[in-house]
Amino acid sequence: MLPRHLTLALSVLALTAAASAADTVALKVEMPKPLFAGTPRPISLANLEPAGAKRPDIMVPAGTTLLSKGKPVTSSDALPVIGELTFLTDGDKTGIDGAYVELGPGVQWVQVDLGATAKVAAVAVWHFHSQARVYHDVVIQISNDKDFKSGVTTIFNNDDDNSAKLGKGKDLAYVETNNGRVLDAKGAPGRYVRLYSNGNTSDELNHYCEVEVFGTAGK
Amino acid sequence: MPLLRWLPLALITLAALWLRTHDLARRPMHADEANQAVKLGELLDHGHYAFDPRDHHGPTLYYAAVPVAWIRGERTLAQLSETTVRLVPALFGTLAVVLLALLAAPLGRWPAFAAAGLLALSPPAVYYSRYFIQETLLATFMLTVVVCAQTWWRTGLTRWAIAAGVCAGLMQATKASAPLFLITALIALGFSRWGYLSRPPATRRPRRDVVVGLLAALGSAAVLYSSFGTHISGIRDALGAYTHALTRFGAAAAPTGHEKAWWYYLRMFGWYREGGLVWHQVAFSALALAGLGVAVFRADRFLRGVAFYTVAIIAAFSFFAYKTPWHTVHFVPGLALLAAAALAEMGRLRTGRLAAAAFTLIVAATLFQQTWRTSFLRASDQRNPYAYVHSSADVMKYRALAEAAAARSPDAPIRVISEEYWPLPWYLRGMPQVGYWTSPPDDCTGALIITSPTLADVVRARLRGSHRESILGLRPGVFNLVFTPEP
Repeated sequence: MLPRHLTLALSVLALTAAASAADTVALKVEMPKPLFAGTPRPISLANLEPAGAKRPDIMVPAGTTLLSKGKPVTSSDALPVIGELTFLTDGDKTGIDGAYVELGPGVQWVQVDLGATAKVAAVAVWHFHSQARVYHDVVIQISNDKDFKSGVTTIFNNDDDNSAKLGKGKDLAYVETNNGRVLDAKGAPGRYVRLYSNGNTSDELNHYCEVEVFGTAGK
Repeated sequence: MPLLRWLPLALITLAALWLRTHDLARRPMHADEANQAVKLGELLDHGHYAFDPRDHHGPTLYYAAVPVAWIRGERTLAQLSETTVRLVPALFGTLAVVLLALLAAPLGRWPAFAAAGLLALSPPAVYYSRYFIQETLLATFMLTVVVCAQTWWRTGLTRWAIAAGVCAGLMQATKASAPLFLITALIALGFSRWGYLSRPPATRRPRRDVVVGLLAALGSAAVLYSSFGTHISGIRDALGAYTHALTRFGAAAAPTGHEKAWWYYLRMFGWYREGGLVWHQVAFSALALAGLGVAVFRADRFLRGVAFYTVAIIAAFSFFAYKTPWHTVHFVPGLALLAAAALAEMGRLRTGRLAAAAFTLIVAATLFQQTWRTSFLRASDQRNPYAYVHSSADVMKYRALAEAAAARSPDAPIRVISEEYWPLPWYLRGMPQVGYWTSPPDDCTGALIITSPTLADVVRARLRGSHRESILGLRPGVFNLVFTPEP
């Protein structure tokens, strides 16, 4: 009896897994054209994603959609000198002058309000891709609390010395390219997505061309 | 009341001094500044300087900085600060404002003050008065030569001829491009038959005074190039600098990377947008252009001389393919004089004084706004036209990392392994365990290892133990990888 039940149980598990796999698809993210004016120096670093290299696909549940398009954005720098916060969710990720917002120096954040709680499958971010540069202390969090005081899920943190005071992170720094960075949020629930940075290797300022949040509306 | 008579110039000078000295340490050190500051530090440490004609300009910058360092109690490279080294061009830049007021005296009292005020507020003049390179000293010595020569012609006193000669020698000892300015000024003098030349010089022995002045020029240049007689071959090397310049900039030379279009400088005095920011000096330039018109149409020899000199210098620098933004410092005094002439002309019209005052305020306000943006708000921003290939703010983080590494492992070396590493020697000054390599040594292990992306793979392969890797910038688009040993 036992072997028959075990076989049945294993078969059910295998079928469930197969059905689950059939429900996930590779996330398609539209990438802008590269903007490097010259030939960037070749970069081959263990903790750096090679410039221009294609990253592995992120598998997301079928039915995942872009939730952030046109959604309101707030920031620690409410009045950026260059650009507007709406640029983050306007769909323009070309990175040319007039298509990015520039926030002040030091630790700054931007926050996308999805309007309702969602299961966030992935977050894509393009800081600035017309020059080889690395943004410091990139931290991305999801929460239902607009102040991010409770129920916070951190999906990315490369602040290896806790200089942003959000806790040490083990994720790797990366060079900004037209491929931006697409991060697996693993269905983290939340209405708000907040992205931190702390200047970059070229200047003390913080930039965003576009932020895209993918997921499914849910409870 | 003499005091009240000079009060406006005193206020302008104070404003110029504040703009040139406020918060001098804030901007990261540019690679060129760092290189010169380390050279000054070597002079302080060892009490000796030897002119190197290949990669360096003349010695006046370093010798001028020594007393400033001493007064501020800094006796070694390790003690030297950004504020101290930048105070040198700042003080010279402030002196230039006073000298321009004296030079502009033929235009009238208020136009002379206006010229001084425009120089005091000029974005390139302020920016490079806060920048430890030779350019501001060169421009100030040039003004001193003209003011001294003018005074000699008027008074006939030989000591003014000697002073002019000494300053011309100091120009030569500042930068090898000095003859370009002096020769252009002499041609401008001949072209305009300057006001003072229309009557004979006050001295009865002008030829003797000219010879004495030339000897003073040769003497002061020789004293500095020979390191006050301790390095006589420096005088020969001073002439050799032109051979090196020909090799570097001649028609057969390889591109230096600093070649730009002929209109590069004109654009800086115009209006343009870059990266969402607007950079302009268009109001000032329009006023100077009006002054050029005044110089052409009025039979004023002084103004014609100024106009010729200014146009010739701008044309000469625009003609050379090699262009760097600090050369614009040499255009500003002439443009300020021409702008002041336009204001003076305006003042002669009926109700013109009101218009002149309004124009002065508008131009001053636009210059101040741009100076605030270029020298204070965005002093190292790559879109700032004066922040040329500038170090990024990240360079100020290396010191803390190195000190922490030295505290953890006092006997281990701190290695900088990179094809280009300036301004790091400035930021890591006074740390004896720091060494520099342009290619990876056999053993790269150390308390801290800083390397370029191109050498990172080789360096990583030559490290013992595990390391934490982080990234710090050097300048826009260029960054380093930092290896910190893990316990």
